[in-house]
Amino acid sequence: MHLRGLRKSFRSSSGPVVAVDGVDLSIGYGEIVAFLGPNGAGKTTTLDMVLGLVEPDAGTATVMGMRPRAAVQAGRVSALLQTGGLLRDLSVAETVRYIAATFPRPRPVEEVLARAGLTELARRKVSKCSGGEQQRLRFALALLPDPDLLVLDEPTAGMDVRARREFWDTMRAEARAGRSVVFATHYLQEAEDFAERIVMISGGRIVADGPTAQIRERNSGRLLSVDLPRHGAEDLLSDLRALDLISEVSTSGNRVLMRAADTDAAALALLRDVGVSGLEIASADLESAFVALTGNAPAEAPAGTGARTRPDHGPAAASTNGTGPARSAHPSEENR
Amino acid sequence: MNATILRLELLRQFREFMGLFFIVILPAFFYLIFGASMDFSDAPAGNGNVAMSIMIAMAAYGAVVATTSIGGQAAVERMQGWGRQLGLTPLRDSTYVATKALVAVIIAAMPIALIYTLGGLTGAQGDTRAWVLSALIVIPGAALFALWGLVWGLAIRSESAIAVASGSTVVLAFLGNMFMPLSGTLLTIAKFTPLYGYAALARYPLTEGWLATMDGSDLAREPLWVPLVNVAAWTVLLALIATLLVRRGRARQ
Repeated sequence: MHLRGLRKSFRSSSGPVVAVDGVDLSIGYGEIVAFLGPNGAGKTTTLDMVLGLVEPDAGTATVMGMRPRAAVQAGRVSALLQTGGLLRDLSVAETVRYIAATFPRPRPVEEVLARAGLTELARRKVSKCSGGEQQRLRFALALLPDPDLLVLDEPTAGMDVRARREFWDTMRAEARAGRSVVFATHYLQEAEDFAERIVMISGGRIVADGPTAQIRERNSGRLLSVDLPRHGAEDLLSDLRALDLISEVSTSGNRVLMRAADTDAAALALLRDVGVSGLEIASADLESAFVALTGNAPAEAPAGTGARTRPDHGPAAASTNGTGPARSAHPSEENR
Repeated sequence: MNATILRLELLRQFREFMGLFFIVILPAFFYLIFGASMDFSDAPAGNGNVAMSIMIAMAAYGAVVATTSIGGQAAVERMQGWGRQLGLTPLRDSTYVATKALVAVIIAAMPIALIYTLGGLTGAQGDTRAWVLSALIVIPGAALFALWGLVWGLAIRSESAIAVASGSTVVLAFLGNMFMPLSGTLLTIAKFTPLYGYAALARYPLTEGWLATMDGSDLAREPLWVPLVNVAAWTVLLALIATLLVRRGRARQ
């Protein structure tokens, strides 16, 4: 799959909106790649162009060396799309038969139902299926042409934790069978758990692209922060930088921010050996991952703007002296 | 054409009992009540009798309800994402439209078959040419009203569009001179409504343009161009609106 200078904008009531703003990307055979980005980052629009559902304003997309529409017609690429797209009055098996009938040589209906774990639900009406079951049905439809490339747009949206785990177990089995998988998600964990490579998208552009191991290393799981004392701040910082357990020591207002792979050991060392106060541990979310990987907050925040240019957001922000780290400037931040 | 898809699409129609009730049973009931059982049913009308005229109108009405609701369903389905799902298959748009059109014709043929059979059994009379030609005009004429359903489906984008589209056919059928003979100002207005031309054309082999009246006043003969212009104008108008709505839908995706 090759994307070159892909660009797409839409008209909206408040003027044109650029959804995809120059995406260049190549994905090789057998790769499992996550498109990671917040809502509205341009993930769906990019994938729609890969599938030939939307024509780009500029740039080209080729899949398996073909134009997207031709690749779809040849059954080389298929997709599980976001919500919608099913006929509620058909049964599960009828839906699979309907779509199977459009392909010249589909996989057998029974086999596809079994692989998606739907054999027992075959006679159930689509309208009576849960969100997770409907998503498995969409997955079964995507398996019908036996594609080389499987595109999944927010595949676990609307699933509970258990359904989500089951879904990814199934997906791993498919990937082992030698398919390339590209999936869009806004769950960092999902991208880390399943993808071999993560492509981060924000504001219609690729902001980071690399092997998952490398990204996990740079965005090492959790964030720690402690108070920056009025006196002896420099001593504390040099003590912290000397610790092997923590990395990326930085200051923001009167807080010191750090990352650690093993936060339990790091917290113990900080409290016992360094003698810090006001320790807080937060799991890294998508926003902090963006900050860690790109130095910028995702989506609407332009490069270089930090918390200082934003107004406070209630008492939580005020307690960190009104400035706080960049990520707490976002109203959606919730784990401090 | 794809046999599996055609079969599944037909199955969906047959499972929808309420839909079939309004398409097949209700118009047949209307014919028996307002046509066959009336005193005037064996009064002469053109090349046959009044019962025949009412029979054609009710069959045409049932056929229109069928095509309108199938057209509306198709639009709503595509809007709600089934179009995207089909966009991921080799199925051509033209094959999809042809399949839906064939389903509409098959379903529309059901009220025609039932009501014509009832007509034959209950005293509808006309020459053979009128029987055959009227049925042959009703089917393609009804296909035009798939556009009526399509336009509503594209405009409203939810299941209620189907109710609006097929519900509105009742009013249009009154105005289309299908349920009772209109006269005076109402008849003049009626000539501009979408079902008028279609109903008049379907009855033309029987009546040859003579308009029925309720009050026994002098019969008037309507030239053939009036229903023809009505059908042509509405076809163009509905096709134009449907095209505009499809473009709007695409721009918004």
